[in-house]
Amino acid sequence: MPGHTDPKGERHGAQHPNYKKIYFVLLGLLVVSVLGPEFGIGWVTLITAFGIALVKSSLVLQNFMHLRWEKRIMKWMLATSVVLMFLLFAGVAPDVMKHEGHRWVNDAALAATARGIEAPHHAAGDAATAEHAAGSVEGEAVAAVPAEQTFDAKNAYGTVCTTCHGPAGAGDGPGAAALNPKPANFGDAAFWASRTDDHLVKVIREGGASVGKSALMPAWGGLYNEAQARALVAYIKTFKK
Amino acid sequence: MQKPIATTRSATGIPTGRLAIWWVLASEVVIFGGLLASYLMFRLGHPEWANAAAVTNTYIGAFNTFVLLSSSFTAVLAHQAAENGDGKLAAKYLMMTIAGALIFLVVKAFEWSYEISHGYTITSNGFWSFYYTAAGLHAAHVIAGAVIMAFIAADAARGRELQRVELIGIYWHFVDVVWIFLFPLLYIAK
Repeated sequence: MPGHTDPKGERHGAQHPNYKKIYFVLLGLLVVSVLGPEFGIGWVTLITAFGIALVKSSLVLQNFMHLRWEKRIMKWMLATSVVLMFLLFAGVAPDVMKHEGHRWVNDAALAATARGIEAPHHAAGDAATAEHAAGSVEGEAVAAVPAEQTFDAKNAYGTVCTTCHGPAGAGDGPGAAALNPKPANFGDAAFWASRTDDHLVKVIREGGASVGKSALMPAWGGLYNEAQARALVAYIKTFKK
Repeated sequence: MQKPIATTRSATGIPTGRLAIWWVLASEVVIFGGLLASYLMFRLGHPEWANAAAVTNTYIGAFNTFVLLSSSFTAVLAHQAAENGDGKLAAKYLMMTIAGALIFLVVKAFEWSYEISHGYTITSNGFWSFYYTAAGLHAAHVIAGAVIMAFIAADAARGRELQRVELIGIYWHFVDVVWIFLFPLLYIAK
C-alpha cells in the first residue's frame, strides 16, 4: 500500500526534510570529531567527541527516523529507556569507579590498574601473544622481563601497598581501618627482628596466608616476580626505624 | 491473504508496524545503553585503559562511521521513494544500504584480524573485552539488518509491502546511532 495511511486517513510522513543537506552536515561533524583530538587539549577532545556524537545522533533521530513528527507517546517511551540507562549508571558506577572506601578496598581493581599503568601500552598485546604462543601462563613471565629492568619499587609501593600499609609504611593506610588483624608496621623494629628477606618475598608473592599470617594480605605473585618482590623488600626496609 | 486485524487498527494513532519497531528500539536502548554505561564507568575507574584504547585506529573507525552515515542516507531516500510509491527506486536505495553494511563488515573483519593477530583478544584485559563485546553486538545488528533489508528490497522491487521500507529504515538508523556513540567511546577517547 503505497503512501500508507493511518486509521484517521491522514497521510503519514508527508514531511521530508532536505536529507542531502542533513547528510553533509553529518559528514562535516564527523570530520570535526576526528580533528578534535589533534589539538591535544582534553576538554576540546571531549566536546568534539561526545558533544558531536550527541548532535549527530539527534540529527539522525529527528530527521532520518522522523522522531520529530512522531506521536508524543513514542518520545516518552524512548526517554524512559534512556532514563533506565542513567539509573543503572548512577546505581552501579560508584562501586565500579572507586577502588577503595572507608571500610573496603577492591584489591583486584587496584592491582589491574597498577599492572596496566606499569606496562607500556603495547605490552598487553605482546604478553597475550607470548601467552598464546607458549600456550601457558609462562608467556607472561617472558614478556615481563623488560618491565623488570625499569622496575620502580617506590612507585609500585605507592600504587599497590600504600592503601593498607600507609605511605610511610606505618600500617596506617586508608584501607587499614577496615582490616583485622592490622597490616604490618614496617617502622617497628620487632617486625624486622623476626623476619628474613626470603620470608617477606614469600608473603608478597604468595600472600599472608602462605606463612600463617593474615589472609587479608593478598598474593601479588601475578604482579611481581621474585626479583621485583626483592626490590620491594629492599624498599620497605627504608621504613625501618 | 487476509491481513490480521492488528495491522489495520491502532489505539496510539501510530501504524502498528511502526509502533512495534519503536518498541524493539526502546528495548535495544536498554541493551546497548546498559553495555555502554558499564563500559563508561569501568573506563573512568581504570585510567590504564587509555593505553589499550591508544591501539585502536581512529581513521578506520572514522571510515566506518562515514560508511554507516552514508547507508543511513540511502535508507532514508528509500523511505522517501517508498512513500512516493516507487518500489523499484526504494529497492535500489535499499540495495545501496546493504552494500554499505557489507563494506562496514569487511572493514571490521580486516581491523579485527589485525588486532587479534597482534595479541589483542577478548580476554586480553577489560578494555578489549568491552571492545569486542560492544562492537560485536553492533556488528550482529548490522548483519541482521542487512539480511532483513534484502527480503524487504525483494518485495519492494515488486511494489509489495512498501510500508516496511520505512520500518527497516528506522531500525537501520538506530544501528547507525549506536555506532555514532561507539566511535568516540572506543576510538577517539585515548
